[in-house]
Amino acid sequence: MILNVLTPTKKLVIDLEVEEVIVPAFAGELDILEGHAPLMSTLDTGIVRYREKGSSELQKIVISWGYLEVNPKAVNILSETAEDPQEIDLSRVTKAISETEKKLAEGDITIADIERYQRKLKRAQVRKEAVEGKAH
Amino acid sequence: MASLADIRKRISSVKNTQKITKAMKMVSAAKLRKAQERITNLRPYAHGLLTVIADIAATHRVDHPLLTVKPNPKNLLLVVVTSDRGLCGSFNSAVIKFAEQYIKEKKPNYDVFDIIFVGKRGADYFKNRDILGKETILNLARELTFDMCSEIAEQIKKQYATGEYDEVQIVYNEFKSAIQQDVVNESILPVDLSRSEIDAEESSFANDLIFEPGPEEMVDELLDRHFATQIFRVMSESVASEHGARMSAMENSTKNAGEMIHSMTLTYNKLRQEAITTELVEIISGAESV
Repeated sequence: MILNVLTPTKKLVIDLEVEEVIVPAFAGELDILEGHAPLMSTLDTGIVRYREKGSSELQKIVISWGYLEVNPKAVNILSETAEDPQEIDLSRVTKAISETEKKLAEGDITIADIERYQRKLKRAQVRKEAVEGKAH
Repeated sequence: MASLADIRKRISSVKNTQKITKAMKMVSAAKLRKAQERITNLRPYAHGLLTVIADIAATHRVDHPLLTVKPNPKNLLLVVVTSDRGLCGSFNSAVIKFAEQYIKEKKPNYDVFDIIFVGKRGADYFKNRDILGKETILNLARELTFDMCSEIAEQIKKQYATGEYDEVQIVYNEFKSAIQQDVVNESILPVDLSRSEIDAEESSFANDLIFEPGPEEMVDELLDRHFATQIFRVMSESVASEHGARMSAMENSTKNAGEMIHSMTLTYNKLRQEAITTELVEIISGAESV
């Protein structure tokens, strides 16, 4: 099974032989193994985990909105942003969380803004989770 | 006839100009590389997205407002993409010329004909001719991000969805190579799937594909992203073209400056020799007469 992870600005994973991919799909987490039925799904902001062939360790990628296509040959993930947890700066993420929380706590913002900040907050929280989860 | 001192001054001034154009060329080359990389990274994503939409639309007969061509379009939005700065050869003038022609030809056919200018050059040119843009987007080359493009896309899409416009056209420089940029006019809304060249039979898509959520919702979301990606692609192409055009323009001027220096040095040396000869002749004839 081949895994591809593409974003508008970079190709994060290309033609990688994998055994297992776990994704945050529209209806909850999905674990995709070899021989999975063809599937299309949108993906939520969250952590994609995959296990390279012959390895027992799960690698992580943080993604925001995207979609997933499973066909007999490959798993293609197209996402708007995708990051390796190692690239994430924890102090910046923590700062972003506290800032957006503060913004949300302020009363006078529009609904569109609330939605935007909530998305931002979720992204930051997922990032934090990905980094901290790696530590232990 | 110019004196020796004059020519010397001119040579040094041309040399300075040459230094500047050379530096600008280097800077553009570096920026071009970055912009080019962005396009190559974007292409698989954009292509993947379009293929999937076309696949779903073909196999599941999905109708979507963004896909349906409206008969008799009466309201048009034109997006003209230029750069903020000049000194890039025919980059801006080509787009402007095309857009001007387009406006002249098409404007009478539409009730509403709005224009969004991207880049200062285009906006200024048309402002001087009393054609005002509905909006002007600046600073593209410096801070082009996907987020920014999806905001623009969101806004255009909303206006299209409410029926404010029936058609959205875009004019920009397509990036072919560092030395070639073509002015292209594309219809970005309604989304044209024919370019992806897929028919239902050949599609690798199984009809019993599992969808989460259903195909309609999926196409809806995918089209959103596709449109944003499209805008991002167009802007990226334009930025890469700008740097490419500037690079070759600056290379040309560096070369021209070199030629100018060469011919001026020749004249300078000739004049100098002449002056020396005259002086010698004067001395010799002076000595002879003694």
